[in-house]
Amino acid sequence: MRHPLSPLTYLTRNPSKVLPMGFVIVLCVFLIAAVASIANSIDLTVRTIYRYTEFFTYVIPQRSTQSVPMDQRAVVEMQPEIDRIIEGGVFFVNIKTVVGRLPFVVIGSSPEERDYLLKRIGATLAEGRMPADGKPEVVVSLPILENRGLKLGDVIAGPLDEGGIAGSPVPVKVVGVLKSDIWVAMSSRTFTDKTFLLTPKCLLLTTKVPSDLDVLNERLMPVGRKGDGLLSPEKVNVLTRSSLLAEVRDSLSSMYMIMEVVSATVIFVIALMSGMLSNIYFTQRIPEFGVLAALGVSRTRLMMKIVWETVILTVIAWAMGSVLSVFLLKYLATNVFKQRGLFLDAMDPWAYQHTLPIPIAITVFAMVTVWVRLKRLDAVSVIERR
Amino acid sequence: MLTCSDICLDYVEATRVTHALKGVTLEFPPNKLHGIMGPSGSGKSSLLYILCGLKAPTSGNVLIDGKSITKMTDAERASLRSKQFGFVFQQPFLLNYLTALENILVGVSPSVLSTATIKAESLLENLGLGGMGDKYPSMLSGGERQRVAVARALIGNPDIVFADEPTAALDKENGYKVMKALADWAVDHTVIVVTHDADMLKGADEIHHLMNGCLVDNAQPNVR
Ligand SMILES: Nc1ncnc2c1ncn2[C@@H]1O[C@H](COP(=O)(O)OP(=O)(O)OP(=O)(O)O)[C@@H](O)[C@H]1O
Ligand SMILES: [Mg+2]
Repeated sequence: MRHPLSPLTYLTRNPSKVLPMGFVIVLCVFLIAAVASIANSIDLTVRTIYRYTEFFTYVIPQRSTQSVPMDQRAVVEMQPEIDRIIEGGVFFVNIKTVVGRLPFVVIGSSPEERDYLLKRIGATLAEGRMPADGKPEVVVSLPILENRGLKLGDVIAGPLDEGGIAGSPVPVKVVGVLKSDIWVAMSSRTFTDKTFLLTPKCLLLTTKVPSDLDVLNERLMPVGRKGDGLLSPEKVNVLTRSSLLAEVRDSLSSMYMIMEVVSATVIFVIALMSGMLSNIYFTQRIPEFGVLAALGVSRTRLMMKIVWETVILTVIAWAMGSVLSVFLLKYLATNVFKQRGLFLDAMDPWAYQHTLPIPIAITVFAMVTVWVRLKRLDAVSVIERR
Repeated sequence: MLTCSDICLDYVEATRVTHALKGVTLEFPPNKLHGIMGPSGSGKSSLLYILCGLKAPTSGNVLIDGKSITKMTDAERASLRSKQFGFVFQQPFLLNYLTALENILVGVSPSVLSTATIKAESLLENLGLGGMGDKYPSMLSGGERQRVAVARALIGNPDIVFADEPTAALDKENGYKVMKALADWAVDHTVIVVTHDADMLKGADEIHHLMNGCLVDNAQPNVR
């Protein structure tokens, strides 16, 4: 038989008191896990949308020039890791993201270069055909179509496109769909050359060993110390995975800060409120503890009983809240957020770390209030019903 | 043996001081049923709480087997209450989420739980509650609940049982059942019962009368 004062006895026999408290914790854990993983999803979104930077690096001429200067190109050509250097024309289509519309690059290249780049990425044609030379046509990978809510044959860019550099003087149609998780869009070099006269040409670099790309990038133009690299930041810019992330983090730093403040406040308020709630629950049980104290159950024993009850309840509720969050966030991530250009990791450890203050705060709150109250607990006044 | 000497108790409130006890000196020799009687407000409950260490007197001393209760620490007093004392209050104060049997066992140490369970069952039997161990307090009558409280007081084999108006909330018949159980215990232990119902103290060995915080008629043996 279990001892009548065992924490489990109380927890299992008082569902009407335990369940609401547990439910509140479950919801709070979900709320914080959601806020934290959404705050963290921007990184993941950037990493998802610009994943092509894992396969090739862009060298972009600075504003004054139409293509990468010869001396800079010569530096690149000398690097031993280089497999190919492809000059591509570019234009941009809009994609939807959590921070609003963003331009996504479409590479104009020759059919041979296009096939090489797509093979690098591992993208194969799933539907339709490759864009014809000189025609306003693109082939895009499936995630881009899903993001825009388009289908094969739809117009993806045109003269009416809003927002910055995205758009095209003539409507551009999707003629092919690539099977790939990597966001990539390609057109013909002949089309970009005759249509986007003022847009500079870029260099696309690939390495013989794909994993050498990071090393090469750092040598060409290190992130954060652009001037220390082999390339001149006055003449070109190098677009890499790390530089993109750094840039996004930098440009969104105030938003990140706001998110941090919001989630910190939410965590604090929730922890405080659930702590206070447990305090109310304890107050209701003063008669119980008064009688037990009168019967000679020591304060330490009562204290341990309450602490264990709280710990068991909060740990179980926290675990349930975490499991619920994983499932709910996973559902939301695939069915709601993804379409809106937000990539959310339902199992983001960082997010779940942020939910830890809830069980801790509740337990600490319970311990402090119980300690204070037990110290002042007057068994006689409970028995005399004052 | 439990003794108290020159116990005074003042309740200090914002505007006035109530002298609830004014120098009470008493002895409670073992193997007796002691009654404490007196009108409402005479200080009976106050005296009982001081005797069992739940309340500290303003002055005076309570000794149990020569040791002063008033000088003990809280923890020592708690241990004394759980090991040597038993309590029956006016209300049974059972925990509503525990069965009758579990309520009896709340105070026992986990290490002796299984032996205590057997004893609790026989206590229930003796108190006319055989087979009711599984019932929750809400399913018991007031008299049954109070008898469960008596069993809870006796489970730890206490040297002294303190009872404050244990029969006040009960009808005569149930009151007698409770008093019978306490009188049985008093055969080889000490039982101290506070009441204002003289009927209930018919079997008492000694009755102490309190009036306005003073002992009026000390240690008068009850002659029927
Ligand atoms: N907590 C308190 N604060 C102030 N005065 C109190 C307190 N408790 C008791 N008193 C006063 O002390 C006196 C004795 O109270 P006590 O409860 O001991 O009486 P009693 O004999 O048990 O009465 P009853 O038969 O009504 O239970 C009363 O005048 C009462 O008003
Ligand atoms: Mg009283």
